[in-house]
Amino acid sequence: MIKNWTGFFTLSGREIKRFFSVWKQTVVPGVVTTLLYIFIFGVALENRISTISDIPYKIYILPGLIMMNVITNSVANSASSLLQMKLLQTLPELMITPLSSTEMSLSFIVGGTVRGTVNGILILLICVLSGMPLENPLLTVGLIVMVSWIFSALGLIIGQVADSWDQLAVIQNFIITPLSFLGGIFYSIQMLPDWASKISLLNPIYYSINSLRAATIGVEEFSLIGSIIIIIVCNVFLSSVAIILMNTGYRIRS
Amino acid sequence: MNNAIEIINLHKKYGQLEAVKNLTLNIKVGEFYGMLGPNGAGKSTTINSITGYVKPTSGQINVLSQDIEKEFRFTRSKIGIAQQEISNDWFFPIEDLLFFQAGFYGINKMSATKNIKNLLAQMGLEQHKRKKMRALSGGMKRRFQIAKALVHDPEILILDEPTAGVDVELRHELWDFLRLLHQSGKTVLLTTHYIDEAELLCSKVGIINDGRLIKEGTVADLKSTINKSSIVIKIREGQAHPFNQILKDYDWTYNKEELIISSESPNSDLPKLINTISTSDVKIDDIQLSKTSLEDVFLKLTGKKIDD
Repeated sequence: MIKNWTGFFTLSGREIKRFFSVWKQTVVPGVVTTLLYIFIFGVALENRISTISDIPYKIYILPGLIMMNVITNSVANSASSLLQMKLLQTLPELMITPLSSTEMSLSFIVGGTVRGTVNGILILLICVLSGMPLENPLLTVGLIVMVSWIFSALGLIIGQVADSWDQLAVIQNFIITPLSFLGGIFYSIQMLPDWASKISLLNPIYYSINSLRAATIGVEEFSLIGSIIIIIVCNVFLSSVAIILMNTGYRIRS
Repeated sequence: MNNAIEIINLHKKYGQLEAVKNLTLNIKVGEFYGMLGPNGAGKSTTINSITGYVKPTSGQINVLSQDIEKEFRFTRSKIGIAQQEISNDWFFPIEDLLFFQAGFYGINKMSATKNIKNLLAQMGLEQHKRKKMRALSGGMKRRFQIAKALVHDPEILILDEPTAGVDVELRHELWDFLRLLHQSGKTVLLTTHYIDEAELLCSKVGIINDGRLIKEGTVADLKSTINKSSIVIKIREGQAHPFNQILKDYDWTYNKEELIISSESPNSDLPKLINTISTSDVKIDDIQLSKTSLEDVFLKLTGKKIDD
């Protein structure tokens, strides 16, 4: 599958160094936004919603905030990196190196996964310091990595399909962000009407948030094993689509 | 001698536009091949097909006898290309970009260090190595492109309009460098629409127009396909001329004291003509030889100038 290991590590390393080189844009905003969410939704709204599943509201929302941050960062990294390379003419130069489509796709996905994971763990630390329990640290980190991988693969697909920053923003603002919010960051889907609750089960982000809630604060609204299976299926599916799409050269080869 | 690049019936369509039409050409190992043609002739499409960036509509391309699709790792590792369009990375200093480039070709940092150091020195970029692309001048960017193409020490170097938009001094420096590379054994494929560049550097030239290879050969071969050399003799003012009698065997014109004689071999005709004209008491002020250029060849073959 991977034969050019040096090339794979080089491109993965480049992707990681790229987002670290602009950490003020890629790491700090997530932390600041999450602190604002914790303050506004957790502190200000706590008087309206005191507990969900016997957990204080300001704690209940924290796993969702971690996942939102993970998703936003992992999607943004691979999508913006690929689009930027397209627009700056560096992608054609990469595409003629002895890297296969699989090696290139996986490198971009690794870059986005690392960014999602770094951001997720930073927010996790903030949440733990804010009083969030951490029932299963290993599973928590594992879930952050797996969800980062899913959305990094999705970001790569979006980056390949998009031709402009406008298109990228449209996908982020009108698909990813609404799905994140509707995945139950700030509420339990059991609070929704039956029909809305059933629709929420079609949203893969719901399973990311549900599983992280189970791993951190111990609240399991949907089967944890079921959620993990869905996450793994999404991982395999989106990674395969990203690799196949890269191999077709759609919008990146003449 | 083996072929470094073998293109067989390459055809590329972009929608309704046929950019390359059944192009077949071979470039031998060690050759300095010039692909000459106006903008839009199909040169860039052809070289981008060789590197695998452009997917041909039909046809086959082999590099060092290996199919570029089936053996893409081998063929791509043997090719270095300096693209016409200069890429512009925002994030990393140029030295880091060279290390990345080497890494993509499977060369680790330790093995790449010496070559990168040499390339930066050869290209005059040593003192600029920690600068990002946007801090470089146009000429430096062009030199960086060539350094990047050479970072994995390829056997075949493809240069797409390497001197487009560079000043005369840099153009001559690049020519000298390319000659050295060729002498070191590299096969060079150069696309250009500068006639003098092809004439000066290339051992073989292919003229491409409208997606087709219309003529190929050494510069001398191509020039010999047309006879446009002439001898221009400036005659002293106010003299009666007897050319109707003495130049019966030549194709000539006379206008405003300028006698123009067409000649297939001007070097051997010139002494005879001087002798003939001198014996007729006509005084000569100046003599010039006007030889066939590749420009003339191009004009004759395509019916237009290369810059049209």
